[in-house]
Amino acid sequence: MKILIVDDFSTMRRIIKNLLRDLGFTNTAEADDGNSALPMLENGEFEFLITDWNMPGMTGIDLLKAVRASDKLRTLPVLMVTAEAKRDQIIAAAQAGVNGYVVKPFTAAALQEKIEKIFERVEANR
Amino acid sequence: MPEIDQERYELMYHEVGRLTRALHNAIRDFHLDIGLPGDTTVEHELSEMADARSRLNYVITMTEDAANMTMDKVDEAAPVIQGLVNQSAELLPDWQAYIASRPSDPAEQALYARVSALLDNVGTQGGGIHERLTDILMAQGYQDLSGQVIKRVINLVSDVEKSLVRLVKLAGSVEQAAGIAPVAAVKVTDDGQSEQQRIRAEGPQTGVRQKQDVVSGQDDVDDLLSSLGF
Repeated sequence: MKILIVDDFSTMRRIIKNLLRDLGFTNTAEADDGNSALPMLENGEFEFLITDWNMPGMTGIDLLKAVRASDKLRTLPVLMVTAEAKRDQIIAAAQAGVNGYVVKPFTAAALQEKIEKIFERVEANR
Repeated sequence: MPEIDQERYELMYHEVGRLTRALHNAIRDFHLDIGLPGDTTVEHELSEMADARSRLNYVITMTEDAANMTMDKVDEAAPVIQGLVNQSAELLPDWQAYIASRPSDPAEQALYARVSALLDNVGTQGGGIHERLTDILMAQGYQDLSGQVIKRVINLVSDVEKSLVRLVKLAGSVEQAAGIAPVAAVKVTDDGQSEQQRIRAEGPQTGVRQKQDVVSGQDDVDDLLSSLGF
């Protein structure tokens, strides 16, 4: 499975990449904001997107909206991993079609649980 | 009535003028090179505030480097401990078969038991170490979280700086309109700096490339000292 990790902090991209590797997902790519992520998603065969919210350029919520508006990407599972913890924000992300939302700081177990839950749902809907 | 209004306006202008001078003094204390109305250096960026931004960016870079170095060590240690766990797991059944094939000499069996316990321990403790390495990895998330906060402060400092420059320009116009003598332009040059200012402690240098008066490393320090006869 090919996974795209989007965060403006390279430290966080590396943490998520390492955790994914421990979970057996070794095919990952990185982008530092929505503007660089979107063309990668459009041109690559990504099956899962993990994105931060607060990024310069295009934010994670705008990336999510762009993904849902794209014919090619509209069904792509999206997990948001972010420090944005306001209720309104989480609601907005849900309304925009996010598949999971992990608030920073997070544990390895929390990330694993959310990822597994998303894949279960994706499988069930197939 | 017009006289009273006039008096009020003058009072207000004087008050604005007084505040302006206080502001100028405060900014001068920050070594903010803002100039005065009509002076093209008003927008000059070489201010203490720009330096504050540079220092905050330095904190982000330093914490990023530290987090990466920590994660490098985690990346080095994790496969080592995993290798030990795998090796002991592979060896254990062979070792147990070997023990079973040996005569039951009590002294020998006691030694075998100790080796068995060690192999067992490597497996269980090794798993625990791997979990702790993951915890160390996760803890590096502080760099992202603190970095986001610092970036917000950097933006705030920028906004305050722009507002201050605008305010001083505005207040300067009011001073001129009110006929109040403006305070002299504050420009701190190298020559004009006091000894105290020149040697004031600044902490680690954050924007070395832009600063010609800063040494670039220990070699520079040694050269400088040697040129002074040390």
